Amino acid sequence: MINKNLIYIVDDVQMQRELLADHIKANMSVFEIHCFTTGEECIAASKVRPAEIVFLDYNLNSQIKDAMDGVEVLQELKIISPETEVVMISGQDKIEVAVNSIKHGAFDYIVKGEGAFVRAEKVVFNIYRFHKLTATANKYKSLMVLFGIGMILMIVLVIYLQKYGYIRSSPGWY
Amino acid sequence: MSESNKLTDLSYLRSLTGNANDKMAKYIRMFTSGAPLSLQQIEMYSLNKDWDSVKQSAHALKPQLGYFGAKGTEELLREIERMSGDKVDLDKIPEALKNLKVQLDIIVAELELSLKEFE
Repeated sequence: MINKNLIYIVDDVQMQRELLADHIKANMSVFEIHCFTTGEECIAASKVRPAEIVFLDYNLNSQIKDAMDGVEVLQELKIISPETEVVMISGQDKIEVAVNSIKHGAFDYIVKGEGAFVRAEKVVFNIYRFHKLTATANKYKSLMVLFGIGMILMIVLVIYLQKYGYIRSSPGWY
Repeated sequence: MSESNKLTDLSYLRSLTGNANDKMAKYIRMFTSGAPLSLQQIEMYSLNKDWDSVKQSAHALKPQLGYFGAKGTEELLREIERMSGDKVDLDKIPEALKNLKVQLDIIVAELELSLKEFE
């Protein structure tokens, strides 16, 4: 079960982490934010307390050479907590990077740069909206199942009442 | 140095931090202490002809320069990233790194000067 309003930020560059965390805190104060330098740290934290949203750097091995890269971390996070939405962040505006991220289960992809922080805010809003829509759809799905069960019970009851002569075979027709 | 000759432009960072002096100072300090180390790392990788690591480190440093409005230097890093990533024009990388060092020294000096304004 994910922890609502919990955001993890994973980037091996301190300034990137802090800028994003400060921007989200300033504009969306409802969120609790934790930052990690490596994907391994985020995976360990997710095993104990999975987040609602993870902002994950695509290239996580610029400082620590043998660190897991973003896609490896993404795959692991999706196994630990499939409900966690992962947003990949990268300095590369290559379509292959975006496609690769989405293919492995990322919710969205953000290119680092001047527009990245506003975009991150929009993505958080989109995730919130997506989760709300999914919850509403699931509610309607449950209601439809209940309605179906009710209809079946009604038919069974009518057949039973007809069989034992409590009602006529075509009630109300003549 | 006049404003127009400066390599940095803090207007984006100002808007991002809501002109908060403490945050401006925090990010400037983060950059002035971290960027020279990143450059040393890139130079070392270049000497060892470890081009993949040159690319990775250049890639990590590049967006930070953008936040301080150092567009020209960001472009230079993009070029270093391209050459080391595609393994083309590798002989041009040492010269590009020399330019990068000169520009980064100026950027750090400019930022340290503007730091006084925020402290």
